[in-house]
Amino acid sequence: MAEQVISIRNLTKAFGSNQVLRGIDFDANKGEVVCIIGSSGSGKSTLLRCINLLENPDGGQILYHGRDILTDESVSMPKYHAKVGMVFQQFNLFGNMNVLENCVAGQMKVLGRSHAESEKNALKYLEKVGMAEYRNAKPRQLSGGQKQRVVIARTLAMDPEVILFDEPTSALDPEMVGEVLSVMQNLAQEGMTMLVVTHEMGFARAVATQVVFMDQGVIAEQGAPDEVLGNPKHERLKSFLRSML
Amino acid sequence: MPTTFFGWVGFLLQQYGGLFFSGTCTTLLIALSGTFFGFIIGLLVAIVRTIEIPRGMGLFKRGLRKLAHMLIAVYIQVFRGTPMIVQAMVIYYGSMQYLGIDMDHTMAAILIISINTGAYMAEIIRGGIVSIDKGQFEAAHAIGMTHWQTMTSVVLPQAIRNILPSVGNELIVNIKDSSVLNVISVSELFFQAKSAAGTYFKYFEVYFIIACIYFVLTVTVSRILRFVEKKMDGPDSYVICGSQSDSRAEIVISKEQEKEVDRQWQSK
Repeated sequence: MAEQVISIRNLTKAFGSNQVLRGIDFDANKGEVVCIIGSSGSGKSTLLRCINLLENPDGGQILYHGRDILTDESVSMPKYHAKVGMVFQQFNLFGNMNVLENCVAGQMKVLGRSHAESEKNALKYLEKVGMAEYRNAKPRQLSGGQKQRVVIARTLAMDPEVILFDEPTSALDPEMVGEVLSVMQNLAQEGMTMLVVTHEMGFARAVATQVVFMDQGVIAEQGAPDEVLGNPKHERLKSFLRSML
Repeated sequence: MPTTFFGWVGFLLQQYGGLFFSGTCTTLLIALSGTFFGFIIGLLVAIVRTIEIPRGMGLFKRGLRKLAHMLIAVYIQVFRGTPMIVQAMVIYYGSMQYLGIDMDHTMAAILIISINTGAYMAEIIRGGIVSIDKGQFEAAHAIGMTHWQTMTSVVLPQAIRNILPSVGNELIVNIKDSSVLNVISVSELFFQAKSAAGTYFKYFEVYFIIACIYFVLTVTVSRILRFVEKKMDGPDSYVICGSQSDSRAEIVISKEQEKEVDRQWQSK
C-alpha cells in the first residue's frame, strides 16, 4: 500500500452556528494529486485551511504520516508548515520584499539555511517557474500569473512534501491561468503530492489521481477523475458539472 | 537700548543666542529620544496585543496573557486620558517625595515623553498592523514562521511604512509639547525663553523668536520624514536579470515604459 502523507478523519469545523465541515474523511498518498471541487460555500477552502492550521478544526484528526498534528505535541509546527506548503488564491507575496527575498526569507528563518544556500535554492525554483529574470521586481510590479508562479517557487524552496493549492487560478485573467496550471502540471509529473481546490475541470481531469466533490460540508462523491467527472452519480454533482460548462 | 521691534529681536538674539541654542538642543533631544523610545514601547505593546492563542496553551499562560492585556489597556487609557503636564508633575514630584529619587530634569523629561508617546504609538502601530492584509500573516505562518518572525520580517516593515505619517505627527507634537515640561524645570526652549524674557520684560519679542525656532524645527522634520518615506518606497523601476546569451545583460523596466506597453497591448 502506498504511503499516506495526509489523512483526514471525521474533521468538523463551525463558524458560529454555521457548520462548514460536517465530518470529512479522505487520504492523500505520496505523489497523489487530489482535486477538491464543489460550489462556493461547500467548505473546500476551509478544509484546506484546516489542514494548514490557518483555521483550528473543532473535531476530528489530521494525520501527517500517521501522527495527529492536532494533539501530538511531538510534531513541530514550523517543521510541519515547511513540509506542507500552501499557495493562496490572493497570492500573498510579502509586499516589503522583492521576488528573490520572498523565496529566501522562509528558508533562512524557518529552516535555518545560510543566505547563500537559500539564494541558490530560490533561484533554482524561480528558474523552474520561469521567473528568475524578475528576481529584483517587487510584487506590485508583477502580473497575477507571475505572482502566483513566484508563490509556487517560494513554496517549493521550502522543500515541501505536500502543497495545498487554494483556488490558485481563480483570481487570474484567463490568459494567465494556463501558465500557472502548466507549472502545477509539471510538479504533479515530478511526483509532488498536491491537494488542489479548483474550478478548472480540465486540469482535474488531466492531472488528478483522485477527485473529491464536496457539498454542504461533506464529501458527496470521490474517486478517480474519469469516474467522478465522467459518470457522476450524485444529483448535486451532475448539476454542478453542468454549470461548469 | 534698542527702540524698534527688530532692534530688540537682534539685541536679544545677541544677548541670549547661546541660551536659545542650548534650549533648542534640549528640546530636540527630548523630543527625538522621547519619540524614539515611545515608538519602541508602542511596538512592543502592539506585538504583545496581536499575539494569538496557539493550540494547547496552558491555563497559566492564558492568565498571564490576559493580565498583560489588562495592564496594557490601563496604561494606554491612563496616559492618553490625562494631560502630559499633569503626568510630568505626578511622576516627577511623586518619585521625589515618596521614592526619594531626585531625577535629572532632562532624564525625567525624556522618561515622561516616552511613556506618554508610547501610549499613542501603541494605538498607531496597532492600526498599522491591522491595516496589513490578513493574507500576509497567513502566508508567513504557512511557510512556518513564528509570530515573532512574521511580525519582524513581514508585517512590521509594511506597517511601519504605512504609519510613518502618523509617527511624523507624533514627533512634531513632541517638539512643540515638550514646552509644557518647563513646569519641572527642564531647560528646554520655552524654559530658556521664560528666563530670557523676564530680564528686560520683552515677552513678545522673545516668544516671537522661539515661535520661529519651533516653526523651523517642525518644518525641517516634516521634510526629512517625507524624504524617508520616499526612500522606503524604493525605486519605481526594476531590472530584468540575465538573458540567454549574456548573463550580465540587464533590462531596466520603468513604470512609464510598463504603462506604454500596456497601452500598446490594449489598442491591439
